[in-house]
Amino acid sequence: MTMETQTSTTPPRVMGLYDAPMWQLLKETGKLHLQCCSDCGTWRYPPGPACQACLSPGSEWKPVSGGGELLSWIVFHKQYLPAYPAPYNVIAVRLDEGPTVISNLIGDPRDERPVGRRVKLAVAAMEDGVALPRFELAE
Amino acid sequence: MSKRNRVAAVVGVGHTDWVGDWKRVRAGERPDDCYGYAAGAFRNALADAEMTRDQIDGLIVGPTTAYERMAEVLNMNVRWGDQADAVLSVAQACMAIETGMADVVALVYGNDQRSVGTQYGGPQAMGGDMFLSYVYHAPWGMTSQGALYALMFQRFAELYGVSERDLGHVAVAQREGSSLNPNAIQRKRITIDDYMAAPYITEPLRLFDYCLINDGGVALIIAEAEMARKLSRKPVYIEAIGRYDLNAGATSLEPRLTDFYRPAQQAVAEQIFGQSGLDPSDIDVLQVYDSFSVHVPLALEGYGYCKVGESGKFMREQGIGLAGRLPTNTSGGHLSESYMQGWNHQIECVRQARGECGDRQIGNCRRVHYTSDVAGKAVSIIYGA
Repeated sequence: MTMETQTSTTPPRVMGLYDAPMWQLLKETGKLHLQCCSDCGTWRYPPGPACQACLSPGSEWKPVSGGGELLSWIVFHKQYLPAYPAPYNVIAVRLDEGPTVISNLIGDPRDERPVGRRVKLAVAAMEDGVALPRFELAE
Repeated sequence: MSKRNRVAAVVGVGHTDWVGDWKRVRAGERPDDCYGYAAGAFRNALADAEMTRDQIDGLIVGPTTAYERMAEVLNMNVRWGDQADAVLSVAQACMAIETGMADVVALVYGNDQRSVGTQYGGPQAMGGDMFLSYVYHAPWGMTSQGALYALMFQRFAELYGVSERDLGHVAVAQREGSSLNPNAIQRKRITIDDYMAAPYITEPLRLFDYCLINDGGVALIIAEAEMARKLSRKPVYIEAIGRYDLNAGATSLEPRLTDFYRPAQQAVAEQIFGQSGLDPSDIDVLQVYDSFSVHVPLALEGYGYCKVGESGKFMREQGIGLAGRLPTNTSGGHLSESYMQGWNHQIECVRQARGECGDRQIGNCRRVHYTSDVAGKAVSIIYGA
């Protein structure tokens, strides 16, 4: 269940007014950048118009460490999206900066029972040129 | 605080022929559209209430039909109207009655989701315009309602030692109820071994953890309490209503994954048991919105029917079947009776409280607790005879 071989065309990304910089910066720098509140420093995901801590509209795009804790995992046994034949996994990760993100684990979570394990970012280059933030177990 | 106690009562319930329409849709027919199903259910609710349409002065329609068109089809001019999901329709009817905006409110719901092929996952997943989490994670292959609950259950199971076999008790218990319910679509009883032998859809959830998708309609008529006593021989009162929403971090599923919606359910438990002067031991039947089986153990813990982390043990040892400590989703629920998005649970609450459930009737049923936790909105109603 390697993640590299499973995607041809990446399923559509939500592209609202605030979404593009994360994808562009990831592709250009290889690092995951998220909005960080310019007033109180709280990290924001998904991108949006106001800080959830202080409601400030101001933010800067800053790189995150890429480290986090795996909260949960699932394995799809049914195909829903043309780009993702089953089986494949989806995980939830709480980044060290605070936000939770949904992603994929490189490797098979069924072998590892990885709830609570440390993970680190591993950017995948999709066939259609999209850089996708994924994770691997850190130790 | 206790104002919502017995302000209003249900005086009529109705539904369409779920089983007959299921067979017709499977045979390639389109028996009706969402408006037609709603109208059919409404006719049955009027007959059940022994009322006529002109006695009704308020109308609430479900989210699957447009308010204006639904009201036009039913040919109803009313002095108060709205659109809401199942449990919030009941809440809003009570608020309209309490504030004098209406005296008798019809609640109507119709859904042609099976015959028109409504998708709850994949490229055409419905609801993405309202709930960002339904579509936001598609680049990673994350799609479908079931996957959200699978992710929730996996962490829950890991933290508290609840097993997949434990979860199987939900599907097994609800098939016991549906096997005795002539309105239910899936009536064949299953065992825990049958449950475990069924394929995973999104691991750790299996086939029997998922709800049906079928066409149909449901309607209720709710009247101000004093009028209800005159109108109905068996009014079923709304004893309490509570709601608490967890919206922070919703797209990233944080309220699901950190505390499994428990803080919202605990806040609602305080509201409903406080308003009614009841506690969980006073509840005879529990009805839980069960798009997926996972809702049930989370509700058992969140509302204090068992301790946190002990829902697996509770289902295994105390039981949620018809003869169990807390009979739950006695009609078969969404998993086995009909997927009417919480609406069929409302009429099962009423029928259990009236004592009209035939072979699946729970003896001496006086109070029924309905709860849902759709998209972080924990809402509960206590119905009482």
